[in-house]
Amino acid sequence: MLTCIKGGHVIDPANGRDGIRDIWMRDGRIVEVPAGGVADETFDASGKIVMAGGIDIHSHIAGWSVNTARLLLPEFRLGTPVRPGSTPLSAAGWPAFEIGCAYAAMGFTFVVEPAVSPHFALHAHLELADIPIIDKAMLAVLGNDDFLLGLMRGKESASAVRDYVAWTLAATQGIGIKVINAGGSASFKENVREFSFDDVVPSYGVTSRQIVKTLQQAVTDLGVPHPLHVHCNNLGIAGNVETALATIAAAEGLPLHLAHLQFYGYGKEGPRGFSSAGARLAEAVNAARSVTIDVGQVMFGQTVTVSLDALRQFRARNQAKPRKWAILDGDANGAGVVPYNYRAADFYNAVQWAVGMELFLLIDDPWRVFFTTDHPNGAPFTTYPEILALLMSRDLRNQWIATLPPEAIAVTTLPSIGREYSLAEIATMTRAAPARLLGLRDRGHLGAGAVADVAVYGNDPDRAKMFRAAALVFKSGALVVRDGMPTQRSFGRALTVRPERDQAIDRRLKAYYDERYGLSDDLIKVPGHAIGRPEPFEMVSCRR
Amino acid sequence: MDHAWIDGAPAGLAAAAATAARLLDASRQPLIAGLGADVAGARATVALAQRIGAVVDHMHGDALLRDLDVLREAGAMLTVPSEARVRADTVLLIGPGVSAAESRLSQYLFGAPDKRIFWLCPDADPGRVDKIAVIGRGARELPVLLAALRARVKGRPAGAGPVSVQVLDGLADALKAAKFGVAVWSAANLDALAIEMLCGLVDDLNATTRFSGLPVPAGDNAVGVQQVCGWMMGFPVRTGWGRSYPEHDPWQYRAARLVDSGEADCVLWISAYQAAVPEWSGDPPTIALAPAGAKFARAPRVHIAVGAPGRDHDSVEYHEMLGSFTVMAATSPSEALSVAAAIDSIALHLSTGSAAC
Repeated sequence: MLTCIKGGHVIDPANGRDGIRDIWMRDGRIVEVPAGGVADETFDASGKIVMAGGIDIHSHIAGWSVNTARLLLPEFRLGTPVRPGSTPLSAAGWPAFEIGCAYAAMGFTFVVEPAVSPHFALHAHLELADIPIIDKAMLAVLGNDDFLLGLMRGKESASAVRDYVAWTLAATQGIGIKVINAGGSASFKENVREFSFDDVVPSYGVTSRQIVKTLQQAVTDLGVPHPLHVHCNNLGIAGNVETALATIAAAEGLPLHLAHLQFYGYGKEGPRGFSSAGARLAEAVNAARSVTIDVGQVMFGQTVTVSLDALRQFRARNQAKPRKWAILDGDANGAGVVPYNYRAADFYNAVQWAVGMELFLLIDDPWRVFFTTDHPNGAPFTTYPEILALLMSRDLRNQWIATLPPEAIAVTTLPSIGREYSLAEIATMTRAAPARLLGLRDRGHLGAGAVADVAVYGNDPDRAKMFRAAALVFKSGALVVRDGMPTQRSFGRALTVRPERDQAIDRRLKAYYDERYGLSDDLIKVPGHAIGRPEPFEMVSCRR
Repeated sequence: MDHAWIDGAPAGLAAAAATAARLLDASRQPLIAGLGADVAGARATVALAQRIGAVVDHMHGDALLRDLDVLREAGAMLTVPSEARVRADTVLLIGPGVSAAESRLSQYLFGAPDKRIFWLCPDADPGRVDKIAVIGRGARELPVLLAALRARVKGRPAGAGPVSVQVLDGLADALKAAKFGVAVWSAANLDALAIEMLCGLVDDLNATTRFSGLPVPAGDNAVGVQQVCGWMMGFPVRTGWGRSYPEHDPWQYRAARLVDSGEADCVLWISAYQAAVPEWSGDPPTIALAPAGAKFARAPRVHIAVGAPGRDHDSVEYHEMLGSFTVMAATSPSEALSVAAAIDSIALHLSTGSAAC
């Protein structure tokens, strides 16, 4: 079947296109304009904006932490079919089913769950499998696990680490590797309460820096397209910009992705000893060409923080609103779920909001800054339309700034920033760049051969309205959303990578699990048949 | 061998499924209970509940919600068994049902050496207790004992209780001296206030050292089913779809209450791991997905035999030691139906609603 999206303004930065043209689709893929071809179905997109489907590289949508947040906070989701705007997280896409529908309504077709403990990988994949419409993937978390730290303590070869990383990706069906407060959770188990980049993990004698560098090298050498995804130490603490700057410097020219950088953009200036270091951080990112970041924008309102940074979440539990929390001091990273309410009238929260905006606006290359709220940690992903509108309008930002505590704005540079994102820059940041970062050659663009994931938006001057409800969304060529409402609920796949490894590591891990845990290593493996959907996985090729 | 029965008489699967569908179609308030099922069975159950407007509960719903109520009222510091086995130098057992003989989890924990083990109020002869220090006896003493212990851990005075202050102080010191302690309890045997006091004690201990809670999971994949309910409905068990969207109410949607009050007029009883039968006194029309040998007080209107997950067919379920989901390969594969397959057969004959995705 041949489908044509006719006459729209196509913004496709990966292919250098920005103008009126038709998009043709056949059998789930974008095709060249067929000579004399007659479409079986035509959609009129005249006056509308056409982009590839959006890609979110960092959004907590599945797994133990997310599901525990659901169970922890039943009152955030009163049993009403259309929840009132006043209900916290009312539009957060709370059950798996709603997540897919809510993302698709905004024109997103691919989302990465960024924090999965290898031992909990099957749980995450089961949830991902129940998220309709969109494709998804997940990052496996290493860096607080005994096996890796043991390899490092034993000064074993880089190839042993590589094989272990490759084994982890194969066992968990991940698309990449993330490290979260490297060594911090391992140290917390030995009663350490503060942990920085050059601190040493007790019992292992390795520093956080060494863990990050070791994993960065392994991921790079294996040819995994997505660079090591780093959640730095000292999240959320005044003065933690120094930690982020040290981590950026440690990239040393190799690819490195820093997650939710906003949460590390804090100095100690000003009357309250808490200030924006967003400008400094943006400058460092601009200079470090091998580094990419996502923002983790804060928006005001009730949310819940979910993280595998058990040490940080433990320390944050006394700020829980409402006053309850779950900390899992589990294997390797552990996890923590702490509800939180960002308030516009709160000095600290207002600074956090401004830091995120500064990072978006002062990092000059839209190919290296990624659009996230660290859902739900900074805000639910359903706030994306409002954030896009803020990035595209200085006037709108000034309206917001006028409502925030002046003493908070005074410790930021935000009022001085005039930049406004263009639609082409938005398309780069939310489509072309994330596809490239994840190594997805057939996504994030509208060239021939690409998966036919397409979002069509009304070109409304109210950009929030425009991005909240796409006029049309196609997933793999099928119409899935019309006027912001899902029309079809098929299920996508999880994308994975499978770098090569020396199988000797498999025998070694079998023995390790048996000896250390008295359990079979097979327990943590995620076979396709366990997912309960046909062809649940799709392989992304490695660079090697 | 027969695989399905209608009113106790052998029947073909299609006829049994059709009869079951008719009962569910005719029901004004269907209830799906028992719910001893693997992940595939739980997913099919929730989808069915949404379609027919049923309430979903689990046979271990009381224990599940006791632990969950503490979490969602106050919070909890938890760990997983595999980590506890490796790392814990101190284990605090709380109340009945947590001996190595009664709990595979405790057996697994004790499999690693060098642990100091204390047991508060075992409520029964603890049997061989070498290396286990028993403090207090009856489970009824537990709330008072836990409160007094928590007070002493924080250096606050505690009045006369079931055990002397000297014994309490000795225990408090031992817990504070732990490098990584683990408190183990079974919600089947404690009340929510005792669990909340215990979780508070664990949190207090973290002021100076490391301590975590480790609840013994209820059987019949209760934790796994609870998790599936979480991501499919946004709520735990005891959630109803009567108004076409999920509503959670631990009192209103408790299976036994719905049956005994007469509110539930048709029950789909699921118990695939064992031949468990309902314990309520009411007798609504019942469709049972249970092993062939299940002994019901009165024959269900429809009984479809199902196999055991992980024995008759591969399953995905919660693994007690791993603390998460895993795949269990069938140990003796058979033709017995899975819960998911049985529900699919019934759903084919339903006229209510339309097939969910």
